Formats: sequence, structure tokens, C-alpha cells
Amino acid sequence: MSISLSHLTKRYGPHTVVDDVSVEIASGSLTAVLGPSGSGKSTLLKLIGGLETLDGGRVVIEGDDVTHVDPRHRDIGFCFQHYAPFRHMTVAKNVAFGLKVRKRPKDEIKRKVDDLLELVKLEHKAESYPAQLSGGERQRMALARALAIQPRVLLLDEPFGALDAMVRTELRHWVKELHREIRVTTILVTHDQDEAMEVADQLLIMHKGRIEQTGSPTDLYQRPSTPFVHEFLGPTTVFKGEVVRPHDLALLAPGHGVIDGTVASITDLGFEVQVTVLLSDGSTPWVQLSRNEFDRLRLQVESPVSMRERDRRLETGSALTRATQLRR
Amino acid sequence: MSHSTRRWLLRVVVIAYLGALVGLPVVFLFGKALGHGLSAFVTQVTQPSAVAALKLSAEVALIAVPLNTLVGIGAALLLARRSFVGNRALTTAFDVPVAVSPIIIGIALVLAYSRIGWFGGWLSANGIRILFSPAGIVLATMAVSLPYVLRSVLPVLVEVGREQEQAARTLGAGGLRIFWQVTLPAIRWGVLYGVTLTIARTLGEFGAVLVVSGNISGRTQTLPIYIYDSWDQSYNTLGAFAGALVLATISIVALVILSALRSRERRLHVDFT
Repeated sequence: MSISLSHLTKRYGPHTVVDDVSVEIASGSLTAVLGPSGSGKSTLLKLIGGLETLDGGRVVIEGDDVTHVDPRHRDIGFCFQHYAPFRHMTVAKNVAFGLKVRKRPKDEIKRKVDDLLELVKLEHKAESYPAQLSGGERQRMALARALAIQPRVLLLDEPFGALDAMVRTELRHWVKELHREIRVTTILVTHDQDEAMEVADQLLIMHKGRIEQTGSPTDLYQRPSTPFVHEFLGPTTVFKGEVVRPHDLALLAPGHGVIDGTVASITDLGFEVQVTVLLSDGSTPWVQLSRNEFDRLRLQVESPVSMRERDRRLETGSALTRATQLRR
Repeated sequence: MSHSTRRWLLRVVVIAYLGALVGLPVVFLFGKALGHGLSAFVTQVTQPSAVAALKLSAEVALIAVPLNTLVGIGAALLLARRSFVGNRALTTAFDVPVAVSPIIIGIALVLAYSRIGWFGGWLSANGIRILFSPAGIVLATMAVSLPYVLRSVLPVLVEVGREQEQAARTLGAGGLRIFWQVTLPAIRWGVLYGVTLTIARTLGEFGAVLVVSGNISGRTQTLPIYIYDSWDQSYNTLGAFAGALVLATISIVALVILSALRSRERRLHVDFT
């Protein structure tokens, strides 16, 4: 295990922001810490990086207990949400900073900086100042600066949070590619579930300072262990008293499902259609249908329908039902 | 009244106001100081007591400005980067010397360091003279110019935030390197702004210095006190005008530098957004 956290605790006055967190993170993995704002995810990242002092627990990186080690000696690459560029230095000097601290020979520094700038596609901006870069370019510069010291762990705090939608998607793909190329153990913090599911191979869901569940994106999406994870990772609706995913419900001709009802409203999003149904028990679950399905069913508001869970729910659905019931 | 007329009128009022308060007096000062010819002006500013006053003012500034700059930056770092009990009280304490009249500072210093004061007896027993000596002048000057660097650096430090420093730390930099290569460059305009204000106040201080200096010609006369003395005591008005012109010129130059810094700072801020 590359990073091993045991019983990490951090309090601000009366508030416990990180509450007895223990987790193991595999070498070379890309883990996303996902949670709503105020869940303690950023603080957890800072505790790993040593930028916040612990109130309890241990941080072990590749077998070294770094709990009491100053951040300058932890060999971590930390990227801040707003990139924290050294504004008075050129891009090349920013990237060279960690190497200069390490007193590497000049020609080696130059070579490495050139390589890194090529890696992050900023060769042409070497002599620019951070103020002259776009948001995405600043983010890439911050990554190059952090990677220059060949960190054992790369920590990214909301890496795409301050970017507009287009750049964001582009940079997500790019970070994933980059990780595939250099394989450095990476932890990124985000509040955006799409982002986490797309980029990471491991998810760590935080809620109120605690870890709610860890696992691969698929695991967590299909087998959420708590209602919070269930609701946080994707859309949910309530069918016969149970929380389910709207795409796991099917609409059929009246009398063919488990319970009958009428279509209450239709929201057409183009690639998918959301249909809300008023069931005979008075509940109003909504169903996510593909374009094809919707067209085949020829539904209109007031159309009589019947509803049931899809077949493939039988295996995962029962696990979910148990988990939900256990929690209640 | 039309819009343009109103604007025109407003402009006239502002110019008249400035002219009456600043322009006219300065013009008269220049006229009077140089009215008897350049050689008369040079004679005045090169006479021994004038030179001595200029020299003393420069010496006081050379001690007070660097010390207050160091203390100001240090206190700003402390207040911006560490949270501790009494944080606010300390900030306020720094403001006291400019909030109260300088004459009060002078009298308070006399009380503290004269024979009747707490340290006065001990000081004189050890042969250290503070009052009526350059040491007292330095003390008074430092007191009245205390908060300028702190006040101009603190908001910049808060605005810049700690993230650049933290980033440098994770990259392996130690405290000194972070200060010289990351923090100081980030706050340099604030520091320069504060230093300029400190210099202006240091050279111009009159009230507090007058009380502690004893006004001994050639020994404890700073430039403003020399001017006052020439004007009020020695009836050497030309000497007063000449000294005033020198002092005013220094201040105006400082102001020009200051406004240049300000516009530069503003430009940089625009760049950063």
C-alpha cells in the first residue's frame, strides 16, 4: 500500500472535520475523494500533505511514517484549487523551483523543465508569467511544478473546480492520460460525482468527516452501502418505499407490471426522457427512458401504464434493498 | 443647469479648492525661497546649522526607517499567518502612535525616560541620555512612524494568502527561502508603499520630536525644527523658506514615487484577475 491512513482526526474548535478516518490507498492508483462541501475532503488531503496539523492518527507513505514530518520533507506534489502559482516567476521558473531547492545542476534543471513543459504542453509558454495564462494552462503549470520533484504522491485539491465546462472535460481526459503515463499514486478531491466516476479508479466517499464507502466507481454505483452514497452517486427515486435508480425502473402496458398508474409529466432531454408516473398507491416515482424506449411506448401525459423494477435489478437490487433496510 | 455645465462648475470648484489649500502656498514658498536668487538660497541651505539639521534628519531616517520596516513586516507576518489571542489588540496598539497627537507621544516619552520616569533614573545612572539627544529624536520618530509598513503590508499579505508559501513548502523550501523568494516578492509593492510613507513621516515629524529634542541648534535640530526655529525664534525667514523648500521637495518626490507605485500596483492587480 502506498498510503496508509489510520484514525486521522482533525478538529476546528468544537467541530470535528475529519473523524477517525482509516483507509489504505494502493500504489499507482488514482483515487478520488468525493463528498459534498463541508464533508472534510479537502482537510483530509491537507492532512496527508502535512499542511494541516493532526489532532490524532498516523500518516504512512510508502512505509515511512510521516505523521510528524514537515511537508517540505514529505516528497509530495500538492496542487491547490487555485493553483497557487508564484506570480512573479515565469512558467519555467515556477516549474524549476523544487529542483532549485534540491540544488540540482543547472543543465539537469533545464532539461527536466523542458521535458515537463512538453509533458503538460506548455513549451511555448515557458517565458510567460502566470497572469498571462488561461485557467487550464495554470492548472497544467501547477501539475508540472508538483511533478518536477518526482513526488511519491500527487495530491490534487479540486483540480478542475475553477475551470469552465469545456476546459474541464478536456483536462479530465488529459489528467487520466497523464496518470496512465506516469503512474504516480494520485489522490484528487472533488465534489463532482461525474468527474470522480470518470477520472478515478477508486472512489472514497466522505460525509460529515467520515468515510462512507470506498471502492471502484462501478462497485459504488451498483452496490452503495448507505443511502447517502446511493443518493450522492446518481439520481434516485422512491418506488414502493425503496430508493432506486430511475433507469432501473421499467414502464409496461397496464396490468403487466407490479403496480399501475398514469403518466403525470414528461421531461424530454433529447438523448433521454424522464417520465414521472402517478401510481395507484399515490406515490410519484420517475423513470429514466432511452429515446428508443420512449418512442416505442408512445407515451403521453395521462397515458395508463404499469411499472416494475427491471430484471437486472434482481441481483444488485436485493443487495441494495438489504443495505437500505439495514440503515432504516 | 445642463449636465456639462454642472461638470465644468464642479471642476472649477475642485481646482479652486486645491489651489487655495495646496497650489498657492507651494508657489509662494518656491517664490520666496528662490526670490533672492539661487545663490542666496544656496547660502541659506549650506550654512552650518541647516546642514547639521539636514544631516540629523537623514541619520534619524536611516535608523528609524529600516527598523520600522523590519518590525512592520515581522508584525504583519505574525498577524496574517498566525492566529493567537490578542491578535486584534496588537493591531490596534500599532495604530495608537498615529491616532493620538504627536505632542502627546512626545510628552509620554519625556515622562517615561526623564528622571521622574520609570527608566530615567537607571538610564542616567548608567550614563545613557535619551532626552535632548539624537537618541530621543530617533525614539520619537520611530514611535510616530510605527504603523505605516504594517498597515500597508498586512492587507496585501492577507489577500495573497498562504497557498504560494504552502506550495513552496511542499516543494521542499525552508522558511528563509520562502520569505525571500515567495513572500517578499508577493508583497513588495506593499512594502515599498509602506516604506515611502514611513520616510515621509520620519522626515516631516515635528511635534513629538520638538518635545523630546530640546531644540539645541546644530545638535538636536532636525530639518522641520530648524525651519520652525529660523521662522519663529531667529527671525531668519529666508532660512526658513529655504529649509522648507528642501523638505517640501523631498516630500513631493516621495509622493510622486508613491503614486507611481500605486498605479503599478493597480495594474498588477488587474493582471491577476
